[in-house]
Amino acid sequence: MSDHILPHHDDKSGHLHVDIKAIDASVRLPVIILFGNAIHWLVIASLLSLIVSVKLIAPGFLGGFSFLTYGRLAPMARDLMLYGWASQAALGAGIWLMARLCGRPLGGEHSGGFGGELLRTLVISATVLWNLAVLLGTLAILAGYSSGVEWLEYPSWASAMLLLSFLLIGIWAVLLFDQRSTGRAVVAQWYLVAAFCWFPWVYGTANLLLVWKPIQASAQGPIQSWYCGSLLALWLLPVALASAYALLPRLLGSHLNRRNLATLSFWMLLLLGGWNGMDRLIGGPVPAWMTSAGVVAGVLFLIPVFMISLNLLGMDRKEAIVAGSISARFLLMGLYALICVGSIGALASLPSVSGAVRFTAFTEAKTQLWILGAISLPLFAVLYESFPQLLGRDCWSPVLAGRHYILTLVGIAMLISLLLLGGLFTGIALADPTVSFLNITSYSYPFHLMECVAQLLLLIAALTLGANITRALASDYLLNKQPGK
Amino acid sequence: MHRLPTLLSGIFLVFLTSWLGLVAYPALQLGRLIPVPDPDNGGSFPPTYGGQAIAGQRVYATEGCISCHSQQVRQLSVTTSDVDRGWGLRPSVARDYLRDSTAFLGSRRLGQDLSNIGVRRPDAKWHFIHLYHPATVCEGSVMPCFSHLFLTRKIQGQRSDEALNLPSDDAPKEGYEVIPTADAKNLVAYLLSLRHDYPLPEAPVKKNGAAK
Amino acid sequence: MNQDHHHLQQEQGSEDTNRPLSPWLVGTFMLALCWGAFYLAFNSGGFSQDVYESNAVNWAGGGTQAAAPVDPKVVGKRLYTQNCVVCHQANGMGVAGQFPPLAGSEWVLTEGNHAENHLVMLVLNGLQGPFVVKGQSYNNAMVPWKQLTDEQIADILTYIRSDWGNNAPAISPEFVTQIRKADAAQSDSWTQEQLLAVSPVKPSAASGAAPATK
Repeated sequence: MSDHILPHHDDKSGHLHVDIKAIDASVRLPVIILFGNAIHWLVIASLLSLIVSVKLIAPGFLGGFSFLTYGRLAPMARDLMLYGWASQAALGAGIWLMARLCGRPLGGEHSGGFGGELLRTLVISATVLWNLAVLLGTLAILAGYSSGVEWLEYPSWASAMLLLSFLLIGIWAVLLFDQRSTGRAVVAQWYLVAAFCWFPWVYGTANLLLVWKPIQASAQGPIQSWYCGSLLALWLLPVALASAYALLPRLLGSHLNRRNLATLSFWMLLLLGGWNGMDRLIGGPVPAWMTSAGVVAGVLFLIPVFMISLNLLGMDRKEAIVAGSISARFLLMGLYALICVGSIGALASLPSVSGAVRFTAFTEAKTQLWILGAISLPLFAVLYESFPQLLGRDCWSPVLAGRHYILTLVGIAMLISLLLLGGLFTGIALADPTVSFLNITSYSYPFHLMECVAQLLLLIAALTLGANITRALASDYLLNKQPGK
Repeated sequence: MHRLPTLLSGIFLVFLTSWLGLVAYPALQLGRLIPVPDPDNGGSFPPTYGGQAIAGQRVYATEGCISCHSQQVRQLSVTTSDVDRGWGLRPSVARDYLRDSTAFLGSRRLGQDLSNIGVRRPDAKWHFIHLYHPATVCEGSVMPCFSHLFLTRKIQGQRSDEALNLPSDDAPKEGYEVIPTADAKNLVAYLLSLRHDYPLPEAPVKKNGAAK
Repeated sequence: MNQDHHHLQQEQGSEDTNRPLSPWLVGTFMLALCWGAFYLAFNSGGFSQDVYESNAVNWAGGGTQAAAPVDPKVVGKRLYTQNCVVCHQANGMGVAGQFPPLAGSEWVLTEGNHAENHLVMLVLNGLQGPFVVKGQSYNNAMVPWKQLTDEQIADILTYIRSDWGNNAPAISPEFVTQIRKADAAQSDSWTQEQLLAVSPVKPSAASGAAPATK
């Protein structure tokens, strides 16, 4: 399936000063572990999201257990999606992309002199630490030790573990950039450096001020909103965009037509990304200028989104190539999702719209489209692209991959449209003070019902991917020494 | 852009803008707000609340109430529906949260806004029954039953004062009573303390045209 | 030289070109940036820490900024829908023979010997026994509503006096407070005779007649 893009030694030019096999060998185990665990968490997060959706139509479902209430399962599902799946897959993608783009293997003279084996052990230990932090943090929420701060529910010790393990992985990626084999950097590398620098800063600051040593609560609102925006737009999205910039031109056999836009959109994205989170607090208990900043950032965010899309989607491409490459299709869909989420975000940032829909499923739609669409789809693309090269053979089942693609797209489309419509109806009803709240709850019932179906589709999609990767890795271990197949 | 130090400085500076605006500014300005004195009875606004309510915040956090409930009445320039709906006399401002350990602002309203629930529902007994089985007092509610916050025990001698008066469908069997645990009592104490109805310099309370 | 290399390597960026941007695009971007700047300038309350309402531009600094007053009729309508609609119906017409109408009712419009204090009193304590409204006699009990606050009762009365063709002045919360205090001794529901035996009290300017509302 990905034969035509397997790396090959080019004898014609004789200029191969980069040993791709060595690079892949140096990052193989960490990347496989990261992606493998990420998919495992994706399945669990999808299952929890389904349970949580069912609870909205049948509040008694799984009732009677203190640890299975909505208030515990919903944060667990969200955090697993963010830290178990998305961030971990982004780490895996980031390391592989950075190593390849910089033309340097992990470990050795270009990684601060640390030997390859030592470094790999360190990185693998860090991934184990990451997964331990996610697992224990999730169990802590289940057991009733949540911190109560949205998106940062892991207790202090779990978030500290998470941060530490990130630092132990991320620092090598930045070092690789510094030591790369050419002077000229590509767009994807800027995004990766930025992402690896920002996550520790964002995560550390937010946890310090909200969970580890909480500051006075009057200040916590903006910081929490800033965190939500920054996590998505400054850590996860840059990795997704790096994947698109790195892979798409190559997969399409094309090149960027508007490189100058890439630079401009990079800086604009960085600038607006942090402010973008304020759309969660429009009209909230913050000074008016913060509300206005949120409005402006939300609307203007469309500009870098548009520039990036123009750049990447405007490349010359042949439909036949796209149809033959699942990674290309995932990347293109991811970019379309980014355009959608930018537009929805811009609309939802307008004060009159925000006033109606802020606390409804409309905002949930935006968050879900961010995570499932703009970020997850490009990460799937990297997954499908990297494994054959890391394992040295065509390891994906095309049938399972195709099913995963369709189910994911249909599931996302269904979920997002239902959430948007439901949110809109709920919002309009909420804006009328004569409509009682309990009536509004009953209006949203049919939407919640259909959302369960959408979540089920997404769960099946995740299971399909899980089956595919299990098959890919299992046969790798089973057939390790056998050539071909 | 092609050398690490240049790229890093650029990233650092650009990132600094949102960090300064949304982290440093709130921490240094909003985080240093102090209560204002209450002219009528020597207390302060926001009013202090007792240890039970402080313990109740922890219960609110760990039960994940923030997943469904918000605690902010929005500014009138964005929407008047929160105030019109009776969820508060005035919009909430940053100072309202200064006594809390965590600002449970919330982002979803699957349930009502709770910033003034202490004013709307000042009856602790109603809250206990609501937590035990929400659908009995709010028909059609999707809120889960928090029965794990209560204890069903055999009546010893006389029925306890704290025992819940539940309708027959939910009542425990003969000779048993349902009483709230310490967690339930703390949570309800916290809920009863939730009120943003006092005036502040930046948020006067208006009643029919006359500012209070 | 690097055309043959379509690997995921650092050379990949070397084929990129720079197609010039259409002036329409550039214009739109510039316009959007200008909008952002102006919006931020005029909706930020002077960037003051104390200004929370974004439509109060105050370049002189914080200062007082008025929260827009809440329309009591809107609040009243909501409360009416929650509390009174069951009997008196959403169209204020009541149910023939059972619940009296409010539209055109002399008790609501406080015509003749019916005064505002009677209206407040019957809401606070409820009614029992035969009761004549618009020439029809009703003999159903009305429950007391004294658990509602003064503001809530005032808003409901203001609302019912302004809808369905009714057009009477608003009732203020201060007036409700005054009447509630005066009637603290009454514990049973009123009968019509008892109610009309109480001398009429109209809201005076001093006791806080409500200002004209929208």
